Amino acid sequence: MNNLTSKISSLTKKEGSKSVLSSLIAIGLGLVFGFIIILIANPSDALKGFGLLITGGFYRGTKSLGQVFYLAVPIMMTGLSVAFAFKCGEFNIGTPGQYIVGAFTAVYIALKWTFIPNSVLWIVCIIAAGLAGALWAIIPGVLKAFKNVNVVISCIMCNYIGMLLVIEGVKATIFNPAGAESYSVTVDKAIPTFGLDVLFPGSNINFGIVIAIGLCILAYIIMNKTTFGYELKACGYNSHAAKYAGMNEKKCIIMSMAIAGFFSGVGGAIAYLSGTGKTIPIAETLAAEGFNGIPVALLGFNNPIGCIFAALFIGYINVGGNYMQSLNIAVEVIDIIVAAIIYFSSFTLFIKMLFNKRKSNKVKKEGGHE
Amino acid sequence: MEYAIEMLNITKEFPGIKANDGINLQVRQGEIHALLGENGAGKSTLMSILFGLYQPDEGIIKINGKEVQINNPNDANKYAIGMVHQHFKLVHNFTVLENIILGVEETSKGMIKTSDARKKVVELSQKYHLNIDPDAYIEDITVGMQQRVEILKMLFRDNDILIFDEPTAVLTPQEIDELMKIMKGLIKEGKSIVFITHKLNEIKAVADRCTIIRKGRYIDTVNVKDVSKDELSEKMVGRKVNFNVEKTDAKPTDTVLKVENLTYRPKSAHKDVLKNISFEVKKGEIVCIAGIDGNGQSELVYALAGMIAPNEGHIYLNNEDITKSTIRQRTDKGIAHIPEDRHKHGLVLDYSLAENMILKSYYKPKFQKNGFIKFDVMNEYANGLIEKFDVRSGEGGRSITRGMSGGNQQKAIIAREVDSGSDLLIAVQPTRGLDVGAIEFIHSQLVHHRDCDKGVLLVSLELDEVMNVSDRILVMYEGEIVADLDPKQVDVKELGLYMAGSKRGEGYE
Amino acid sequence: MNIVYFLFAQTLLFAIPLMVVALGGMFSERSGVINIALEGIMILGAFFGVFFINFMQNNQIMEGQLLLIVALLLSGIVGALFSLLHAFAAIHLKADQTISGTALNLFAPALGLFIAKTVQDGVQSVLFENQFRIEAVPGLSAIPIIGDLFFKNCYLTTFIGIAILIISYVFLMKTKTGLRIRACGENPQAADAAGINVYKMRYLGVAISGFLGGIGGLIYILPISTEFNCNVAGYGFLALAVLIFGNWKPWRIAAAAFFFGATKTIAYTYNSIPFLAALSLPGVTYKLIPYIATLILLAFTSKNSAAPKASGEPFDKAKR
Repeated sequence: MNNLTSKISSLTKKEGSKSVLSSLIAIGLGLVFGFIIILIANPSDALKGFGLLITGGFYRGTKSLGQVFYLAVPIMMTGLSVAFAFKCGEFNIGTPGQYIVGAFTAVYIALKWTFIPNSVLWIVCIIAAGLAGALWAIIPGVLKAFKNVNVVISCIMCNYIGMLLVIEGVKATIFNPAGAESYSVTVDKAIPTFGLDVLFPGSNINFGIVIAIGLCILAYIIMNKTTFGYELKACGYNSHAAKYAGMNEKKCIIMSMAIAGFFSGVGGAIAYLSGTGKTIPIAETLAAEGFNGIPVALLGFNNPIGCIFAALFIGYINVGGNYMQSLNIAVEVIDIIVAAIIYFSSFTLFIKMLFNKRKSNKVKKEGGHE
Repeated sequence: MEYAIEMLNITKEFPGIKANDGINLQVRQGEIHALLGENGAGKSTLMSILFGLYQPDEGIIKINGKEVQINNPNDANKYAIGMVHQHFKLVHNFTVLENIILGVEETSKGMIKTSDARKKVVELSQKYHLNIDPDAYIEDITVGMQQRVEILKMLFRDNDILIFDEPTAVLTPQEIDELMKIMKGLIKEGKSIVFITHKLNEIKAVADRCTIIRKGRYIDTVNVKDVSKDELSEKMVGRKVNFNVEKTDAKPTDTVLKVENLTYRPKSAHKDVLKNISFEVKKGEIVCIAGIDGNGQSELVYALAGMIAPNEGHIYLNNEDITKSTIRQRTDKGIAHIPEDRHKHGLVLDYSLAENMILKSYYKPKFQKNGFIKFDVMNEYANGLIEKFDVRSGEGGRSITRGMSGGNQQKAIIAREVDSGSDLLIAVQPTRGLDVGAIEFIHSQLVHHRDCDKGVLLVSLELDEVMNVSDRILVMYEGEIVADLDPKQVDVKELGLYMAGSKRGEGYE
Repeated sequence: MNIVYFLFAQTLLFAIPLMVVALGGMFSERSGVINIALEGIMILGAFFGVFFINFMQNNQIMEGQLLLIVALLLSGIVGALFSLLHAFAAIHLKADQTISGTALNLFAPALGLFIAKTVQDGVQSVLFENQFRIEAVPGLSAIPIIGDLFFKNCYLTTFIGIAILIISYVFLMKTKTGLRIRACGENPQAADAAGINVYKMRYLGVAISGFLGGIGGLIYILPISTEFNCNVAGYGFLALAVLIFGNWKPWRIAAAAFFFGATKTIAYTYNSIPFLAALSLPGVTYKLIPYIATLILLAFTSKNSAAPKASGEPFDKAKR
């Protein structure tokens, strides 16, 4: 028994466990807050509605679950983009721009490059979209590296520039006059499902979820196991020390933004190559999936693996929330819950910090004080 | 007889550390009372309590015999207590005048009125010989002037009890003498002074009585006249201390570093920060660059390390021209660098201790294969260094560096740099903020490195260190080398004259 | 000449809300707290303001300029209260300021739409009548040129915005509290040692940013629409850009806001400007100008950024 308790206590002391615990507490508090809002707005249906919200992901069994995966992918990628950039010291708020640039590239190639066989078309599209996103993110990276321009503001500018240029691009090349939007990518050119639609029938799931999770794992490996990741993190944590150590901080900033942009671009590609009839509108609004990556990154503690679970969670309650609409409860309650979870996550970070401080000072006393 | 200040049985704990443990301090009216202790002994904490920045967990404070509560600096000000901090509390882009009136601004109809304040400041600066320009911006004035602004802040608020926290760290010997005179002048005006320091010479020069604390505990209070420096240092450290560094004579061999006509003028400055600097360091000797902070030493080291590019001149390492080499190339060719700012440059605080140990070698084949870090090799290497250099931390190599004490962080940097076995070791203020034991250890490491037929370039502001550790002293003043001295043949007073630019060595006129 | 007056009026309609919100952001950052929640604050402030106007107009309780002023105050107060959530997390809990800012940005439109749909039976737009346009200010509109530029076909909000600019400048640079706020943003340890309550000053800075953000939201929507959908088209983020572009100084912020307003106006009206229409440039060029111009200008001016030194760092007394 002692062995077990000591194993549990050593497990809970690990950094990762503390983060997970903090996230779970924040999620719990956020859900409670959401429940209270529903209760105030719709007391009679509150319990039933909340129940739908929580279980909606399994409501129709594998169909709902498949939908969870389908909805999670775009924000998993934009979330990974934000998280990766954060780890390298920058706030990549340019995900909407990178996302839509990637999306346009993917749709354009899918619709126009008919010389590529359908079996590999989606691969080409995804890679090209990633490169487009990377290129789009390099602009703020270069401006920061060489001219010390604040990344937040240049990303915001690039969001608008990207959005406007994509609209022009759509109008010029793949415009569907019938609907003030682009043409959609048909199922034959879309990302194949590789059997996932058999596992999750009736949903829109495709291989994209595997790609997304795979990229998250890849990002984790890069960040934590390679010399490249070691450099990126060092630059992010302390660019002065990185320079002192002989690292090229300019290269780090640019590479980290490029990789972050790549992930966003891929997210755009997967979303629009799903064969669900999704089209690029020519309205002048910034892609919501871009901004929605930020909560995913924050909930995932800027950890690529955390992003997987955070995106799945948000996808999950989105599906539940859609079912909940049938009870005349406004679907915005989902966003309210997500917002509350993020807000509460700042509390739990505080608690985590307290734990760490107490432990490290105890350590200082035992080991370090001279 | 009433004491001006009494701090009785003061205890203050921070998470995990008892900074003050039942300390007593009694300061008489009109005396200069020194508070002596090693780095980390708890002196600053005690005075911060007196100044209202912290509240004690236990104990009471009495001012002129009456018990008082000091909950914030405004209360302290009410009781006429003022403090000149070790790290100046000045706003860099405000003017001198704005910094002085901050917190006690006079207003008329809602707007700040500075006319009366300006008059008072000018009067005070003339009376106490504290020359400043009220409209200069803090970021543009020298460190010495900034300290005068801090003193004026106290005088402006009519403080009678003045606390000085390590005031002489940034001054030349001559400026230190001036400060002592200013302090004596303040006493004549009826003020009382508490003077925190770990420098025995200064205590002997100016203090009436001295209270010694060690590791947060009260040790003794003595009349300065009646004790010797050795006795004071023994009380401070708890054992007999030999301040002299054990070393044999230097046996310099080949030149490892040659600097020729190095000049550097940053775009924003109006004059050269480094002016035509030329010197050599040989293997087997410790050369120390002495000088007041701000005379180009930092920039010289950055130029040698490759962190800034000089406008003119050449740098040769083992006869190879490295003027255009990158930082990494210099590291690979044999330059190790213990930086001035351990938090800004020396460590990535959010990395573990082991990750910091390979900060400058992670890319070498020893630690990586095909771009993947060999974590077991890293940990083994780190553990080896930790043991050899006695770097203490909670979880060994896995500890997050941010949580380690300053002294151990510095030891980690020194371990990494010294162990690299580089031909040239550049050490900038390696013992700043460390206790005597650590200082002794680091000095012995520097001497050992020298004895392995390597060159050591030391930059230091501590005159004792300069005199005891170095084999040769180069004095820098206003970006130039002004003297090349033998520490055995020059005394501190003379060194001070060179440092202040009042004297130049032979061949440097 | 009429075209110039029209362009100028349009520019003001775009620029004034940007400027007001950016000034709010300035107060927050100058005190040391980054506030990226301006978008959310604008939305929530505007929502409650519009909702109030809707209610008052439908029930004929208040109308006209008086209603406008009361609604503005309400928006400001809502914005200030909302921003206190961010202040509490950032100042007391020392949380990552992007986290709490993001939470507020997500929360505001969601809450607004939720309330709208719940109270209005599923309808998400809140409607209002535009009773606030002033045809001509008596007396002042007769002044040649200036009268045509400022005092015809104008809104009270423009003048309120300009007043806010002047008050902000004086408050920040000339008063005791302004000096103290600035000290907290540059070197909070120094302010603390001078006896200033850093927490209080930072709460004040954030509250002011919330107040101005809320007002800015209402100023944004009132002249350009008759309904509100909890969307301010990214103005909160643009205001951040204006703040950085304006180097955290009131007059430069005003100039930057005006620049954005002017270029945005030209983007939508270039066809009416003879010499621009003749150039036959694709419409998107004009829309791109403000953003690209900002990038280029920033590339050349960012070396001298005057960002408050301690902005974004939680104040910790124990740090020396």
